[in-house]
Amino acid sequence: MSTEAHAEHLVGTDWEGGALPYRVGHKKLGMWLFIVSDALTFTALLMGYSYVRASSEQWPEPFHFYPSIIFSTVMTLCLLASSFTMVMAVKASARKDRQGTRRWILATMLGGLLFLGLHITEWKHLIDEGLTPKTLPAEWLREWPNATYLFGSTFFAITGLHMFHVLTGVIYLGVIALRVRRMSHEDVEIGGLYWHFVDLVWMFVFPMIYLLSVFRGK
Amino acid sequence: MSRLVDSIRNLSQKEDVIINAICLVMALLFFGLAAGNLKWAGDFLTTDALFVVVVFGMLGTVLLISPVLWLYKHGYFAKLVGSHIDTEPVEMVPVHFEGTTKLFLSILGWLLGLTLIEVLLAYKQVPIVLMLTILIGLSLIKAALIIAYFMHLKFERLSLVLSLIPALVICICLFFIFFPDSARSKNYRYGATPATEQGQKAEP
Repeated sequence: MSTEAHAEHLVGTDWEGGALPYRVGHKKLGMWLFIVSDALTFTALLMGYSYVRASSEQWPEPFHFYPSIIFSTVMTLCLLASSFTMVMAVKASARKDRQGTRRWILATMLGGLLFLGLHITEWKHLIDEGLTPKTLPAEWLREWPNATYLFGSTFFAITGLHMFHVLTGVIYLGVIALRVRRMSHEDVEIGGLYWHFVDLVWMFVFPMIYLLSVFRGK
Repeated sequence: MSRLVDSIRNLSQKEDVIINAICLVMALLFFGLAAGNLKWAGDFLTTDALFVVVVFGMLGTVLLISPVLWLYKHGYFAKLVGSHIDTEPVEMVPVHFEGTTKLFLSILGWLLGLTLIEVLLAYKQVPIVLMLTILIGLSLIKAALIIAYFMHLKFERLSLVLSLIPALVICICLFFIFFPDSARSKNYRYGATPATEQGQKAEP
């Protein structure tokens, strides 16, 4: 606090590098910078996926509308709903309503855990069918004989990294909910920023991995 | 003490002039390269030529932002715009924003609606290139809604938006430099069939 006041005295206006040129705290700015860099990580992965898909002779399109696409749509709805409850948690913390904040954050975590549970169920089904990062199921190879195993590699890499982010987010929100008394409004808001980012990434992963691989009947 | 403050202020003003001059020179350089490419590329409507023009144009524009803002701040555009800029120190308090539940519910409704449209496209089995275009467009709208309202970047200061978003967009655009290769690389593979036979072979 004292350093801020001193800096403010030393440099007057924004243009001379005011104390808070963005009018946000340093923690929030740090989270924003992390989000930008992490967005580039996911962009790189999705671009790599698009590249290998465009340069492959054949690409499997194995997701039947029912049940696979419906299943992943439910997962999307879980994440969207949890994003909304997170907004409500931030709103409650602005009113200094600690109990409400905790309850909304727990609802958010529930949405995240539901997403994780559904996602792991889906992974298990695909792995049981014979999809791994290095192999395609024999049944798929009959349907798409020239397809490469890159489908499995990209699928597990991208959804796996996203799943890891969701898991991290659930733990992060858990810590905030546990120590909600010591958390300032801005701390809750920063947790919310991270959670919305996880949601945001899924908004690109879902169409590009699932919807574009919907099974097209012969 | 006041002399120290004054000298620091003078120094920072000199620094501003130098940095803005460098930015201006580099911006002009990039615009020059973009304009030069228009002239030298020969066939202008190719992926590579368009890419170079767009990237150089964007880099030039980004480098131009700082000098233009600086000139605006120092009143060089005052006659054009006719507004007075306050140079007095302002209070440095973080911006606080609290939206209404109704606003957030309507944003959630939009997000759900757009998601359902995307799923409907998969159900209708729209041709894949058209589907990709529509999906990316809708996803960008959804991303913008989430960033603007849920992450309430719309209600932050413009300086934060300008620091975060253009850099991200430019970096993402730079990724596209790989894409012209993805279509060509099929033909470079060992044992690959020449491009002319590719289409016939893939048909049955």
